[in-house]
Formats: sequence, C-alpha cells, structure tokens
Amino acid sequence: MLKIENLHASVGDKEILRGINLEVKPGEVHAIMGPNGSGKSTLASVIAGNEKFTVTQGSVSFMGEDLLDLPIEERSRKGLFIGFQYPVEIPGVSMANFMKIAVNEQRKYKGLEPLTAAQFLKMMREKSAIVELDPKLTSRAVNEGFSGGEKKKNEIFQMAMLEPKLSILDETDSGLDIDALRIVATGVTRLKREDNATVVITHYQRLLDYIVPDYVHILYKGQIIYSGDKSLALKLEKEGYDWLINDYKE
Amino acid sequence: MGVAKLIESGALRPLKGSVIDNTTDCSLPFVALNDPKFRLSVDTAQPVRLVVVATESMQGSVEIELAAHSSLSLVVWLAADSYLSVSVKQAEGSQCDSFVSVVSSSDATFNFDLNGVEASNRFNAIFVANGSDHAKIALTTRHNVSDCKSNSLIKGVAMDRATGEFRGLVYVAPDAQRTDAQQQNRNIELDNSHIVALPQLEIYADDVRCSHGSTVGYADEQALFYMRQRGLDMATARRLQIEGFIEDVVGRCNLEPICCLVRESVNNKLSTI
Repeated sequence: MLKIENLHASVGDKEILRGINLEVKPGEVHAIMGPNGSGKSTLASVIAGNEKFTVTQGSVSFMGEDLLDLPIEERSRKGLFIGFQYPVEIPGVSMANFMKIAVNEQRKYKGLEPLTAAQFLKMMREKSAIVELDPKLTSRAVNEGFSGGEKKKNEIFQMAMLEPKLSILDETDSGLDIDALRIVATGVTRLKREDNATVVITHYQRLLDYIVPDYVHILYKGQIIYSGDKSLALKLEKEGYDWLINDYKE
Repeated sequence: MGVAKLIESGALRPLKGSVIDNTTDCSLPFVALNDPKFRLSVDTAQPVRLVVVATESMQGSVEIELAAHSSLSLVVWLAADSYLSVSVKQAEGSQCDSFVSVVSSSDATFNFDLNGVEASNRFNAIFVANGSDHAKIALTTRHNVSDCKSNSLIKGVAMDRATGEFRGLVYVAPDAQRTDAQQQNRNIELDNSHIVALPQLEIYADDVRCSHGSTVGYADEQALFYMRQRGLDMATARRLQIEGFIEDVVGRCNLEPICCLVRESVNNKLSTI
C-alpha cells in the first residue's frame, strides 16, 4: 500500500529525513516513535505533500503509484488521510459544508454521484457517533473555538467520513486527557478494516494501549534505526531511548 | 435580475414619495432600484426597511433624515459599476442599521451624522473586487452630540489585478462626551491586487470610548493546505476560505431574499478563482 524507499527531505539547507525505508501493507497498524526533533512530523508532512519540504532523494509509492508526483488533493482523493497534530481553524466555513465538499470531491474522483442532503446528514450522524463528537459542532466553523480534545476528535470524525485507505495520525494523542484519548483511540480501532492501514506517530506508549500496533519503528535523526513489535514500545516506556541511541552509529 | 421578481412576488415594495410616516404601511421592505437621486424622511416609530439596489450602472445619491426615535434598516447592494453617495442624518434616539455589499467596480460613500443624543448607528459592509475592478467604500461617522453609539465592520477582498479601497473616518465633536465608537476593517489581498486602507479617528472630546483597527492579510496557507489534504482542489479551497472570511458580515444582512442575492453575486465573483 505504502512503500517508502531511501527518502531524504530537507527544509532549506537542513536535511531532516536521511534515508527512510518503510513498507505498510493493508490491514496493518504501524507506530512511529522517537525523541523530539527526530523527523516524525516531517515524514507525515512530506507524505501529505507539504511544499515547505523538498524531497532530495528516494521514492514514495502509494497504491502502486508514485506519490511524490501528485498534488496534495489527489493524494487525499486516492485515500491518504493525515490527522494533524495542530488542526487548523477555518473561520466562517461550517464543518458540515466543508465535509460535504470533501466527501463529494472524493466521490467525483471515484466516478460516484454526489450524496443527497439526506444521505449526507445520515452519514454525519453515524460517523460523529463513532468519536462521540457533539453533533452541534458540525454546524460550527471548522475547528473554530473547539477545545483541544474536540479538535482531535474532529480529525478522527473526518477520517471516518472520508474512509481513507491509509491514515497517518500525527501525535493525535498530544494534549488529550485520558477520556478523550480513549475515545479517539477507540474511534481509530473501530475504523480499522482488512483493506486499510494506520500509521500512528506518537511520543507515548499509552496511546498504544488502545491502538495496538503490529510494528513499532524508532525514528532518530531522520532514519528508522530500529523496528520491532509492540513490546518495543513497552521497553521504551521503561528504559527510554538511550539504549537505542547508544547502539546507533551515525 | 432577482429584484424585479421579488417585487412581483410581494417580498419587496417600490418606494413611492419621499416621506414615510405613521400613515405608511411598513410591513414590507421598500426598494429603490437604480434610482439616480432620492430623498427620504422617516418619521414614524415603526421600523422601516429600505433596500437600495444597482443592478445596472448608475450614478446616484440618497439622502435620508431619521426623525427622533425612528429606526431604519438600510441594505445597499451594488451589483453593477456605480457611483453612490448616501447620507443619513439621525435625530435623538434614532437607530440606523446598514448592510452594504459592493460586488462591482463601484465607489460608494456613506456619511452618517449623529445629530441627536442617544442615536445609534451600525454599519456592516463587504467589498469583493476582481479582474480590473476598483471597489471603494468611504465611510464617515460623525458624532456631533453626546451619548451616541456607532459600530462599523468592513471586510474587503481583492484579487487578480483589482484594487479594493476603504476610507473610514470617525469624528467626535468637542462636546460629544460619552461617545462609543468602534470601527474595524479587515482585508484580504490575493494575486496582484491592492488593498488601500485609510482608517482615521478625529476626537475632540475627552470622555469617549473609541477604537479602530485595520488589517490587510493574505490567504491562510495553512488552512489551504488543510483543506487540500481533505481533497479540495486549490481553487475550491481558496473560494471557501474567502466565503468564510466575509460570511460573518453577510450573515448580518437581515433581509433573507437580498442575502441570497448577495451571496450569489459574491459566488459569481469568486468563481473566477
């Protein structure tokens, strides 16, 4: 589904990703962990198509196609979803209107008819229930005046609406209290299917109590220096990153 | 255009004569359509609604006198290139609530004189300029006596090679104590367009509450990126962002049928993005 080979990316003169290799297959859940500044969010941004970063080497293929050649919106329509660490506020644009356009753009791309108003409202009701999002929020402007927890729930709500093939959740757990964390993580788990995959980027093991990963990767200085199963996250929680970093030779 | 249909269907009524008083039936909003010059005096306690529309190019002036404790809701929609000057003189305790939409290459000037104590004035306006338009709104709010209130919000968008211009003056006369005057102007400048913003305050009284602010910004790149990540193309994302930017002002047009026409004309302008 996603295949990253020797990916290098820079912002200005500074190289942040220095040869990432990662393969994600349908049905899998991957966790990417690593200390601050290791390049976790940059990886998500580069896959999304953020023009702030320049890819200098390597390739990313998604569903068998070269992802790096595609504009941001086409990556999305092909089934790529990024749950942002800091969801953006869009004043004056209602959540419902925004999602209606987004869902219908995606349907158009797949050659499907747009949803009727009734179908769309039904879908919104069902999907907002998955993340226990107050339905009133959908009539408010996108993320405007939402609490930290509501913003993150709103990301997962959008993920539920768009039914992506691959979701990359960038520190979705940061700033969440324990209840919100449980709701968000349960939402993600409920959306898991045989034919979709999830990559969670996180600092903390506690998210992985709810979203159980098949693989855990450690990102350090722009490279994946270690991969293991879920027990790796537990070991990190106890022992920190030092033992890995000491092993790692640049 | 839509306005003639609104008159036919009985949602609006053409304005006849130049006086509205207690004998006038004010249940329907009045409309002055492409009228080059008219004067109106409002002398009734009933709330009066007046719509001024330019659907074809015109040069015109509107002079309105509001008697004590009268109340006017004024909606101005310039859909065709026009020159319009509006002056409103407000007596004691009168209220004037305006909604102005300039979606053409037009020059619209508004002069409000608060001549009686406890008069209040609310002014909400948008301009949207594209192509080689020059859209201009000039606003002068004069607090000539004490204890009056004014509140203005003007939002502008310019794109392509267009120019959008806002000139705003709040004047507070020497004896106009306890004046409360607020004026805010927000603009978005896209492409190779220009925004000219000249907010001014002239205050000659000392016991006043006045504030004004004016900003010019660009498209919010982060918001555009966010929307594109959800599958919206660049043009749709930009359109949505601008619609959202002016929506809080458009939402203050309290005449629903005109509100729809205004939204439609704004959407037509934005469809060139």
